[in-house]
Amino acid sequence: MIAQAIGGNLDYAVMLGYFVAVLGFGLYFGRYTKTTKDFFFGGQRFSWWLIAFSCIATVVGSYSFIKYSAAGFRYGISSTQSYLNDWFWMPILVLVWLPIVYYNKITSVPEYLESRFDRKTRVAATIIILFYIVGYIGINLVTLGRTLQTLLGWRIMTGAAVTAVAVALYVYAGGQTAVIMTDLVQGLILLIAGLGLFAGAIYHFGGFGEFWSLLPRAHKYAFSDFSSPPDFSFIGIYVQDGLANTGALMLMHQGFIMRFLSLKSVKDSRRMVVCWILVLAPLAAIATSCGGWIAKALVNNGELVTEPGDSFVKAANFLCAPGVFGFVLAALTAALMSTADSLINAVSAIFVNDIWKPYVKPASTDRHYLLVARITSLCAAGFGLVLVPIFMDKTLYSAHSMFTAAVTPPVVIAIFLGITWKRYTPAAAFVTIVGGAILISLSFVWPDALVGPFDFGMGPDSYDFMRALFGLLAAGALGVSVTLFTKPKPEEKIRGLVAGTQLDAMRRFKGAEPNRRPGEKVRLRVKIDRNLSGQNVVTLPQSALDKMAAEPGDLLYASHIRWWYGGLRSVHVKAGAPIESEDADLVRISPEDAASAHFTEGQQVVVEKIM
Amino acid sequence: MEMLRVWPIVCEFGIGAILCFVGIWCGLHGGYLNLKNADDRRLLFILIGGYFFLLGIMCIFTFLSPNWANGGSL
Repeated sequence: MIAQAIGGNLDYAVMLGYFVAVLGFGLYFGRYTKTTKDFFFGGQRFSWWLIAFSCIATVVGSYSFIKYSAAGFRYGISSTQSYLNDWFWMPILVLVWLPIVYYNKITSVPEYLESRFDRKTRVAATIIILFYIVGYIGINLVTLGRTLQTLLGWRIMTGAAVTAVAVALYVYAGGQTAVIMTDLVQGLILLIAGLGLFAGAIYHFGGFGEFWSLLPRAHKYAFSDFSSPPDFSFIGIYVQDGLANTGALMLMHQGFIMRFLSLKSVKDSRRMVVCWILVLAPLAAIATSCGGWIAKALVNNGELVTEPGDSFVKAANFLCAPGVFGFVLAALTAALMSTADSLINAVSAIFVNDIWKPYVKPASTDRHYLLVARITSLCAAGFGLVLVPIFMDKTLYSAHSMFTAAVTPPVVIAIFLGITWKRYTPAAAFVTIVGGAILISLSFVWPDALVGPFDFGMGPDSYDFMRALFGLLAAGALGVSVTLFTKPKPEEKIRGLVAGTQLDAMRRFKGAEPNRRPGEKVRLRVKIDRNLSGQNVVTLPQSALDKMAAEPGDLLYASHIRWWYGGLRSVHVKAGAPIESEDADLVRISPEDAASAHFTEGQQVVVEKIM
Repeated sequence: MEMLRVWPIVCEFGIGAILCFVGIWCGLHGGYLNLKNADDRRLLFILIGGYFFLLGIMCIFTFLSPNWANGGSL
């Protein structure tokens, strides 16, 4: 353990300042949250680049810098392979899953499972997913507590409590909007800190060639060996991370579903995913792993002595000037907060949408559900905090990690088959989730018999990874075989919920035939019109409709002319009948819509057609 | 050629190709991904291009980068 030997007062002041700034930033955005739609989905108004940055901040967890730098120190650039598996899931995400959840206005994964299958599948998934997320919050808090203990000498519980309170407060106040806006800042900070550290190291060594020459040859491969070592083999990481975890991230992670639903349109989701997976994820892979590579080069150059687990912090401390190191510590904190906030908001969404609304108090006001959502956010952080002393016991911590590895494959398989295969039946989905989880649980009792056949000769040390392969195959086999002997849901009842019927979901979303003709954006001036009150309709000149290739009844999106607001000041509306007036650049909008978008009379806005 | 270095690429990009194919087929089936639409054609091009871009990067950092000479000859 490094304890307080690293960093100085200036570093800690920078870190504290950052902590307070993020808290204030998050609280500020509480003013944009007035409904449950705002609280869970940020009003579905945000631009692709904002969501891309916030997604990367959520992906990079508190443990990422420590864990991947340790792997980078031991194994070299193959430490990045966990971040480079996402692209292969992208077609399923943007062409199937996202249109289905967005256009059906699905608010949670369990809700989809009930629509596609039945209620008992929803209940099973709700229990599993809630347990998974709350436990995950606890693990994140423990990890941060341990990191702060290493850096500041605090007790684990103290660090965890301070962070939990800060995150819970801004999620309580601002919901998804606060999560997205703070994650934008935190995503930038952690990328700048990690990549800045890498650039500083290259400068220190005198160039990339000099740095590269200090790494052993075995550290210069993109992938580790196919089936060795058992705890870092390619196949182990691929099945556990590339298939099970990435599948869970794309299909089952409620925090990401909510982030996707915060986008202003499905079209924006395409740009967002490309930016996230093809640009930001590789940068994040370098940012989180480079500490280990740099430490290895420093060790080989005789400039540093370190263990793999300390490599990131020691390399950063070696290279950074006072104050700059504090910025790097802030990035570590950012990584934790940006993951925990998404999880807390996700627990709140599942509790309200899948438990409170259907079972406890149906048909209540939105204001009531918003209050419940806010209270649930505080409780989720509290539950996570309660789990900290339990997870501080390493055995239970490992047990939960194993449990999460056990539950993700069955739910991922159920969603995957559900969206791609019309024939997949409700009975099969239930058996996939429950039976799959039971089979994987049994693999802890008889690991050699159940996981052993899939270990590629690596032995018991590889079981934590290879259990994912067993889980995927077992759940998949159950799902397929039960489907063959049971009756599928009638096709008309799954229209819009399965591949091949996405256009039906679009029609349902719009309430009419979607207009997919390409058009342009137009710039207009706002005219607040009380006659439109309560209609969610705008009226525009015919010339503007023509330029957008829009017709009356089409869905439009009006936003502030400054792109860098990222959709924060915007609103979705319907196009009304065209108006002929002296002012050809006016858009008439209701007072409620103008207030929702924070538009003022005479202000210029950009209007575009969504569908 | 070290096959232990080749198998990871075959495995990752082989299974990856199947996943990509499933996604694209599911998009085309039913007309959601409409190749008459320029945006959709661009998306398909990006999906396939991204796959080969990653394949290229992985090949460079498997077959070339370990052999890069030290220091100034880079």
